[in-house]
Amino acid sequence: MVWLSGAALALSLMMMLGLVGYIAVKGLGFFWPSPIVQVQTTEGLILGEISAQEKAHGSDPAKTQFRVCNRDLYGQDYRWVPSAEIQALQRPLDAVLIERLENGPFIGFIQENTGDKLSLRTVDGQTLEVPSGQVVRIIPSNALGVVGKSRVYASRLWEFVAGAPRESNTEGGVFPAIFGTVMMVLLMSIAVVPLGVLAALFLREYARQGWVIRALRIAVNNLAGVPSIVFGIFGLGFFIYTVGGTLDQIFFSQKLPTPTFGTGGILWASLTLALLTVPVVIVSTEEALASVPRSQREASLALGATKWQTIWKVVLPGALPGILTGLVLAMARGAGEVAPLMLTGVVKLAPSMPLDGSFPFLHLDRKFMHLGFHIYDVGFQSPNSEAAKPMVFMTTLLLLLIVLLLNLAALRLRSKLRARVGGSSF
Amino acid sequence: MSTGVLDMELELEAKHPPAAMPRYRDMPLTDRAVLEAPNMVSVEDLNLFYGSKQALHGINLEVRKNTVMALIGPSGCGKSTLLRCINRMNDLIDNVKIDGRIRVGESDIYAPDVDVIGLRMRMGMVFQKSNPFPKSIYENVAYGLRVQGVKNRAVLDEAVERSLISAGLWDEVKDRLNESGLGLSGGQQQRLCIARALAVKPEVLLMDEPCSALDPLATSRIEELIFELKRDFTIVIVTHNMQQAARVSDFTAFFWMGKLIEVGLTEKLFTNPRERMTEDYISGRFG
Amino acid sequence: MGRHFDNELRDLKFSLLAMAGLVEEMVELVRQAFSERSDAKADRVIALDQNVDELELSLDQACIDLLALRAPFASDLRLLASTLKIVPELERIGDHCTNIARRVKFISSYPHILTASQIEELGEATHSMVKRAVDAFVNGDAELAKAVIAEDDRVDELYVQVSKDMLQIMLQDPTAIERASHLIILVKNWERIADQATNIAEEVLFILEGVNVKHPYLQKRDS
Repeated sequence: MVWLSGAALALSLMMMLGLVGYIAVKGLGFFWPSPIVQVQTTEGLILGEISAQEKAHGSDPAKTQFRVCNRDLYGQDYRWVPSAEIQALQRPLDAVLIERLENGPFIGFIQENTGDKLSLRTVDGQTLEVPSGQVVRIIPSNALGVVGKSRVYASRLWEFVAGAPRESNTEGGVFPAIFGTVMMVLLMSIAVVPLGVLAALFLREYARQGWVIRALRIAVNNLAGVPSIVFGIFGLGFFIYTVGGTLDQIFFSQKLPTPTFGTGGILWASLTLALLTVPVVIVSTEEALASVPRSQREASLALGATKWQTIWKVVLPGALPGILTGLVLAMARGAGEVAPLMLTGVVKLAPSMPLDGSFPFLHLDRKFMHLGFHIYDVGFQSPNSEAAKPMVFMTTLLLLLIVLLLNLAALRLRSKLRARVGGSSF
Repeated sequence: MSTGVLDMELELEAKHPPAAMPRYRDMPLTDRAVLEAPNMVSVEDLNLFYGSKQALHGINLEVRKNTVMALIGPSGCGKSTLLRCINRMNDLIDNVKIDGRIRVGESDIYAPDVDVIGLRMRMGMVFQKSNPFPKSIYENVAYGLRVQGVKNRAVLDEAVERSLISAGLWDEVKDRLNESGLGLSGGQQQRLCIARALAVKPEVLLMDEPCSALDPLATSRIEELIFELKRDFTIVIVTHNMQQAARVSDFTAFFWMGKLIEVGLTEKLFTNPRERMTEDYISGRFG
Repeated sequence: MGRHFDNELRDLKFSLLAMAGLVEEMVELVRQAFSERSDAKADRVIALDQNVDELELSLDQACIDLLALRAPFASDLRLLASTLKIVPELERIGDHCTNIARRVKFISSYPHILTASQIEELGEATHSMVKRAVDAFVNGDAELAKAVIAEDDRVDELYVQVSKDMLQIMLQDPTAIERASHLIILVKNWERIADQATNIAEEVLFILEGVNVKHPYLQKRDS
């Protein structure tokens, strides 16, 4: 029996590590500058990074994929070449990869660098001029040592995390998505915790325990099993059209027919997800409330406290670790759901963020970007899916990391509380 | 004519009569003043039902002011139930029905317009298993006052110190009032619970087997404490331990299956009880 | 299923009964020794006293042990407390019997004295009190105990009467003084035995009814 349980644990651990490791390897390697290779093929010279290789199978010969970039000149980023045709592989020291604001990266040679523009030449002789303002980064990949490459890596990583996206999300950073995800999770938490805790308090402390309450509890539990897209539709119909529309008519009628709250936004998205995750919080809170020993309640009541005072001063503080458990679960679920968000306020590219410097600073009616949706969009909706692949992995890794950090923060808070409360089963 | 030695002795005796020899009835262990104390708690014809099962049958009991009344009897005989009636803690249990009266002072606490919260503030309760809150020692003792709305720090400080001194815990914890109450030993926790109950200056202390989870040393400290608390409070204590009831109480009431079998001065009940059942129980022949 | 303590109490009672029985036998034997002027019986009485003393020591110890270890209440407590008080009474009865036996040996050579029959009556009455006090303990008979207590006055009167007669004889016949003084001491011992029997009966009443009936003159004053 010991072996069986140990084997099951090992299997689970391996699967988790395998998942994270695969994503990490695929994603993290993206920022490390690959060597730029120049080869001679039957079609001429090719200059680019080796991005993939396939073995021969069936009637297809073995082939190699080169990332040649220069989308504005070649029309495509990648080229497959049969491996047998590759000859004379070299790594020219002056070959550069230039990241640009438009048209993706350039791989070639610099002819001349004046202050405000660059004259470039490709390996097959085409020339190009790029204004300096369009240049993000110049990387002479073959001439860099480990230190130089590490600096490039760090710079790219920072740009990924802190910069805005470009080239329809296939390049640049995902900072707006990070911000949108975190803010949405926070708003959701602010909404779900009071709602869930109050509901649990009613179910457990105030309602008379009979079959009505039991039915109610079953209904709440079943709510956790409803597919998330259904919540999205509810959010759309109720929050956006009904409530949002009414708000617009009352407060923002001068702006109609342009909707303010009558359309998707971070507020409605957070509330929708709050509804989605509230059963989890209710169940956890109920368990936590039940775990506060009856003797504590009796002691409080015997001292002349009212029921509400007992709840506020003794029961809730004692149940706090369990409530936080519920919050952790809710956040993990909420950060990962994408389907309902698509209907209630997430967009591919948001013109501005929900929190900025202009009054009233917090714009709850604005649409926002979200990491989960970003992954879907970049991976499957972008026009250049090959270029987007590494981005998908990186964003996935980032999303995992953010959820992990949120959980760790909540767990740490919980363990500190648990030490204070002492001895509760949660 | 001759004043012999005998005459001299008689003369001396006449001038300095020896102190009156105490009559044997003046030398009991229990101060006879307890018999004249007014009633603090009067239970009159109390019946209690859990649903259809009757747990207390027509109880009539009087507890005098500043005395200790011990309730003894085998498990399930209703003594804890009666104790919990006095501060209406049985109200918390569903389908409990009570008829009869309990007077505290002059008024019946089961009258329809009684303020139950206020009643409970006049009663302190100490439970079998010590149950300090997971708060600091200070906050534990101050809880009862905070719940009444007291915020003034000076008032709270004074009350906390006074109660901890009364409970015999002050010297041990005065330097660590901000530490968690759960960090104390079992005996200390129980004394903390006593301090917590004392802080609101109740009139009656209700103790439900307060020492049953404690070692003999901690037990004897709390028994000493009860002896001192008797000066200022009226105490009703439920106990399983006959020796404890004998050591600590002025009056003892013996319960059996929800009925009050005998009640009287402790020293009488334990040397010469009236009822055969009482005799058998306290001699350990059953129960 | 009896308590272990019940067995110990039963053993204690048996020991006490053994001691009481022994003492009762001594009383009867010494009465006979006086009537029959039997030195042999008198010697027997003197020898028995050692057994009584041994029983006193073991009973004392047993009571203390049980009080310490069993912390008894109510009737158990009264039994132990009273046993501790009955035992020395019995032991003193034994001592008095020994004293009487010694006097018997002194006077056995003398001729009878007039008041012999009264002394015998005193002896019988005393013996009866001792026997009934012991029976009251054995049978838990409170009425019997009360009867014994009531009888003490009669025995006292008998004693006073015999003493007066002795005094008369001594005044009338100075040669009889030596004999008479032995007899006075002997008779005093009988009276003491009767007092002790009364004390035992009072203790038995306390065991049975929990009421302390000693010193009635104080009781009447306070009631």
